[in-house]
Parts: sequence; C-alpha cells; structure tokens
Amino acid sequence: MDLDLAEAFRNYEDKIVNKWVDYTLSSYKSSVFFKKSPDKFSNPVGGNTREALSALFKLLAKNADPTEFAAPLEQIMRIRSIQEFTASEAAGPVFAVKHITRALFEKDSERKHLISELYDFEFAVDLAALQAFDLYMQCREQLYLVRIKEIKTGTYILTDSRCPSNLLKKDTGTPANFPV
Amino acid sequence: MALAKLEQLSKSVVQGPSLSTGAVPAKDWMDTPAIFKEGNFAYPAKQEKVEYLDSQDGIDFPNARIWSPDEDDWKLPENWQEIILKGLAERLEKFRSLKIFMDCCVRCGACADKCHFFLGTGDPKNMPVLRAELLRSVYRNDFTLAGKLFGKMAGGREMTVGVLKEWFMYSYQCTECRRCSVFCPYGIDTAEITMMLRELLHLVGIGINWILEPASNSNRTGNHMGLQPHTFKDNVDFLAEDVEALTGVKVNHSFNRKGAEVLFITPSADVFAEPGLYTAMGYLALFEQIGLDYTWSTYASEGGNFGLFTNNELMKKLNGKMYAEAKRLGVKYIIGGECGHMWRVVHQYMDTMNGPADFMEVPKSSITGTVFDNAKSSKMIHISEFTADLIKHGKIKLDPSRNANVLPTFHDSCNPARAMGLLDEPRYILDHVVPKWHEMPENTIREQTFCCGSGTGLNTDEIMELRMRGGLPRANAVKHVIEKHGVNMLSTVCAIDRATLTSLMDYWNPGCGVCGLSELVGNALVMDNEKRAMGYGADGTESELPDGLRTML
Repeated sequence: MDLDLAEAFRNYEDKIVNKWVDYTLSSYKSSVFFKKSPDKFSNPVGGNTREALSALFKLLAKNADPTEFAAPLEQIMRIRSIQEFTASEAAGPVFAVKHITRALFEKDSERKHLISELYDFEFAVDLAALQAFDLYMQCREQLYLVRIKEIKTGTYILTDSRCPSNLLKKDTGTPANFPV
Repeated sequence: MALAKLEQLSKSVVQGPSLSTGAVPAKDWMDTPAIFKEGNFAYPAKQEKVEYLDSQDGIDFPNARIWSPDEDDWKLPENWQEIILKGLAERLEKFRSLKIFMDCCVRCGACADKCHFFLGTGDPKNMPVLRAELLRSVYRNDFTLAGKLFGKMAGGREMTVGVLKEWFMYSYQCTECRRCSVFCPYGIDTAEITMMLRELLHLVGIGINWILEPASNSNRTGNHMGLQPHTFKDNVDFLAEDVEALTGVKVNHSFNRKGAEVLFITPSADVFAEPGLYTAMGYLALFEQIGLDYTWSTYASEGGNFGLFTNNELMKKLNGKMYAEAKRLGVKYIIGGECGHMWRVVHQYMDTMNGPADFMEVPKSSITGTVFDNAKSSKMIHISEFTADLIKHGKIKLDPSRNANVLPTFHDSCNPARAMGLLDEPRYILDHVVPKWHEMPENTIREQTFCCGSGTGLNTDEIMELRMRGGLPRANAVKHVIEKHGVNMLSTVCAIDRATLTSLMDYWNPGCGVCGLSELVGNALVMDNEKRAMGYGADGTESELPDGLRTML
C-alpha cells in the first residue's frame, strides 16, 4: 500500500472511527446515551459498536484478509439483526466509512490526492458489507431456530399436545401433528 | 460531494420508523404512535381464558373478546375511556404510593439509561421515566389543576385510543425488574407503574395469553401448566427415582402430608421442564440427606404467581393458596424453591394481602437451630438461605470436584436480588459446591443485575426478538466472562431465568449452559450410604458420571 495512504489512515483513524460510530448509532431513535457512555456493560449497543467498528477499520485500512472481518462484523450484526431494522438498515452503516473517509480527505489539501487511491480500501468495505448481509441472515435464521427449540422443549408440549388429559378437552384448533 | 452521498445512503435505508438520521427524534414522543407488527407484541389472551377468570369470585376480567393488536380496531367497549379514567381514579385513591409516584418525579433522568429494554432497543419510550410519563400525562390531564387548565403545555395528554395502544406496547416492554428503581433518588418503584398500566388495560379486556392462561391454570389446578394433582405427583416421583438411580439412595418424599414440619413450594417448571428438573432433583437429594420433615403439595403446586402481572386481586388469590395449604397441613413454616417473582409477592405484598400468617412459627431450621428472623412475618424462607445455613454449620458434606466440568458465573435474578436482598447466600453456596466460579462485571450483578429480558410473563416465543433485545445487557456481561475466564455455565435461582436464559444463551452465547443453583448443590452433595452410578471413559476406566444429575440413565 502507498505509504502516504497508510499514514493518512493512521492520522485520521480516530476521526473516521468516531464519525462512523456516530453515524451508525444515529440509526437508533434515541442515541445520545449510546454515543456518550464508554462503558460496554452499561451501554452494550454503544460499547460494542465502537469496539467492533474500531477493530474493523484497522483491518480495512491495512487491507487485511477479508475472513478477518467476520469477528468484528458479527459483534455488531448480532445486535442489529434482532433490532427493529430492515436488512438494509442493519447493514447499511458499514458502507458509510467509504463516504466518511472521502469527505475527510477531501477537506485536507495535503491528502486530497489520495482519494484516487482508495479503490482497494473501498473494495474491502464492499466485501465487509456483503459479509454483513450474510451475518444478518445467519442471525435471523439462528433466532428462528432458537424459537423452534423453545417451542419443542417448552410448556407447549405439556399444555397443547395430545396428552391424555388434553384429549378430554374440546378441540381448540391446536396443531394435530405435534410429536408427543 | 461525498457528504451528499452519505445523506443519500441514510435516505436510501430510512424506510422503517426506527431509523432516524439524527440524535433527536423527528417528532415529539407524544406524537409518535405505537406501531404493532408481528414479532413486537405478545398474543392477546384467549377469550375463554378471560371469561373463565372473570367468572371467578373476587376477581374481575371484563370485556373478554377476540381482538388483535395489529388490527386498527381493538373492539374496545364503547365507554372504554370512562372505564380507564374511573379505574385510575380508584387506584389513586386506593394506592397512596401511586399518587406519590405520579406527583414526585422531577424527571432527573437517573433511571433513563438503566432499563434493559431501553439499552437493547434505543427506543426512548423504554426509558423508565418516559414509560411512566405515558400514564403520568393522562394523570396530569385529568387529575391535576395545572393539567386541567393548561393541558399539553403542562404535560397533560388526553386519554385516546393511541395512548391506550402505547400503554399496551410499553407496559409489555417492561419486566418489572426494578433496576431503574435502584437509581431513582425518590425511590419511585417504576414496576408499580407498569403494574397499574396493566391493571387498567385488563379493565377494558386487554391482556396477553402467556400471562392469563398460566394464571387461570394456576387458579384451576394449582400450577401454570394446568396439570392435575396425580400428574404433578407422578413427575416428582419420577425425579425421585432418577435421584435414586444416580446416587443409590432411596428418596422418601411425601405429598399433602398433615403435620409435616415444612411445606415446600417451588415453581412447577422445576418439576416439568428442563433444566429445572435437575434443580428439583437437587432439592430432593438435599432434603433426603438431612432428613427434613417436609411435604410437597399438589394444591399449592406452583411457586410462581402470574397474578402479579395482571392485577392485585388475582395476585392475592393465587398467593392465598400457599397460605391456605400451609394452614390446612399445619406446617410450622414454608421453604420456597428457586423462583423469581414469587419472592417479590411474598416479601412485599403477601403480608398486606393475606397476612399475618400467625398460624405458623418463625422459621427455625431443625437441623442447625438457626432462627430466620428475616422471615418473621412471611414465615417463608428461600432454599438458598436454608442451604447456606446448612453449609455454614457443617451439616452437609460437599465435594466440589463433582462439578469439575462446570465453570459457572452467577446471575442474580431480579426479584430475589432487589425485592428480598438475596445477594450473598447464593454466592456462599457457589463457593462450596464448585471448584471455581467467576463474577460478571460489577455494574451488572447484585442490586444492579440485568434482567433476563423475559420476566413478567414475557417469556413467550412470538416476541423472541424483543426478548433478545431486552436480554442483550445480561448476555453481553456473560459473554465477557466466557471470553475472559472460559465460563461455560450460567447459574441462577429463578425458574423463568432457567428457561429464558437458555434461549438467550442459544442466541448470544451458544454453548453456555444454564442451571439452577440447587442442581450444583445436588451434584456436589455426598450422601450417606450413597452408591453413585459409574460410567466408563473412552479408555475403559471407571469413573463417576461427569454430568451428575443431568445424566440420562
């Protein structure tokens, strides 16, 4: 990688990550606290988002192997996948780092010329975003499996299945083929 | 140029109501309607369950009907507004605390970021102060002079269908865990505000099935599952046989035995559902080893009290069954199993509702001689208090190495921790039954414990996403001790926790198990004349079964 570009990423890392975190957390209806509190335990959404995006930016900036993106992406997508977001809303903020980086370089006359060298970085962001969509789907599927497991092992078997005492009740339209 | 693209990106993904482009919501909270869609509401109560409850003496569940939150028309009774306002007036008169809670909040915001539902959703109406404001705004409008004169300018709001829908949405996105109350400088019990919202909603026939069906089952057969006495007995018998198969010690337990010293009451989930079954096996083994003179009851066969999540009359009635049975059997005191909200009812409401239980004695352990003055009034002690006292006096022999495959952390269940102050006893027990265990971060345990996200009857599968959001702060702290210390088990003292934390772990931290504390006690317990079942390792060597009470024989 161009040494100037690497230096620019290092120099702007904090600013880019801060803006990226800010943008991502703005997707919540009330985000002031999420942005403010640094404690990951009293502020799980804000803390994990910051931790994950900080780690992800380092990987993107050094053109790391895309398989390494999975861990920080999962940290953030596992949360966003079960919140009230559509798939594009959940994964969308991943793309934002491209625009944030360009905007910052644009304003810096000494680094403006580096914009034309951002292809690899932006391609890495695209790959990360694709992974984010996959993770969104994986988490959704896992959520449904958790639900199915709970139904199969839960009280439903005792209350709504065809146990002898239930056969005495009038048919209330419960599924007939439930294995007992 | 680039900034314009960023705005475009925001716009292109802003489709739903939840994604805003700035920190401040575009609309005032009062003007943001509650939108119901599959996954964000628990299913309404079945008409026949509401009708059944309404038919019972002393409890009212009027306006039973078929309705659904995601339809515009909730088929409310014609005079619903009058019913709600009259209901609120009655409760302000009856409950002095409600009147104080309505008046004394200064909106300092100390509670705002303490709610697990707020932390998991970012929805401002899940800030406890704002959730309470949903009721307080109506109170101001109709019950204060300022509100009557200045309306919205004084924070007042007319009771409309939209407000009623908000009440339903947000009073069922609160698990009455009372974490927020710990931080309130005025001691406002926000859970009681949720309780009032739910009571008022029941007056117009708005309630959820996951609460009303178990509550009606409990009223009818004595337990949430609706199982009849012989089934309850059979299941405890099966568990006793399992204990015998694993330890070689025959368990002598009894049901409905008059003259027993102790009545033992636990959530029915301990007897019917994994992983509670293993906790119940732990109780059976422990009581057998110390020779406790105790009985189970098939009448008071439920420790849980879903009445707490509906209205005070039903809570009183269900709680009354415990005490009626204790009186009938003539026991000296009650030991309660690992339950959450049962302890809130017993410690904070029982005495007012059904007390004083002066037909019983102040609990005194016949094994150690310890008098439990803390339960002087309720006459009911927690299994962890009882067990910790046995350990303290050296009355039981424990071999922690039998739990060597378990590296637990401890989740303080909301109600035992915050409603009865049970903080140290479970930790003392853990110190003695496992070789090692680890605490989660300080601001997520003890009084500050985070809820499982599924309490107060929200442990139903149709709101799994909501439960995962509400449980995020808890799961996040568990994840930390898994990564830092290799924790593989989340131990707890609550039946709802055992069930719901299992799903929570399955999503957030797969591979981490969930167990009751008494299961670990049962595993570590060295019994007289025991002949423990042995297993054979891959190399053919004989050893004790590593899974303890969980071993399927």
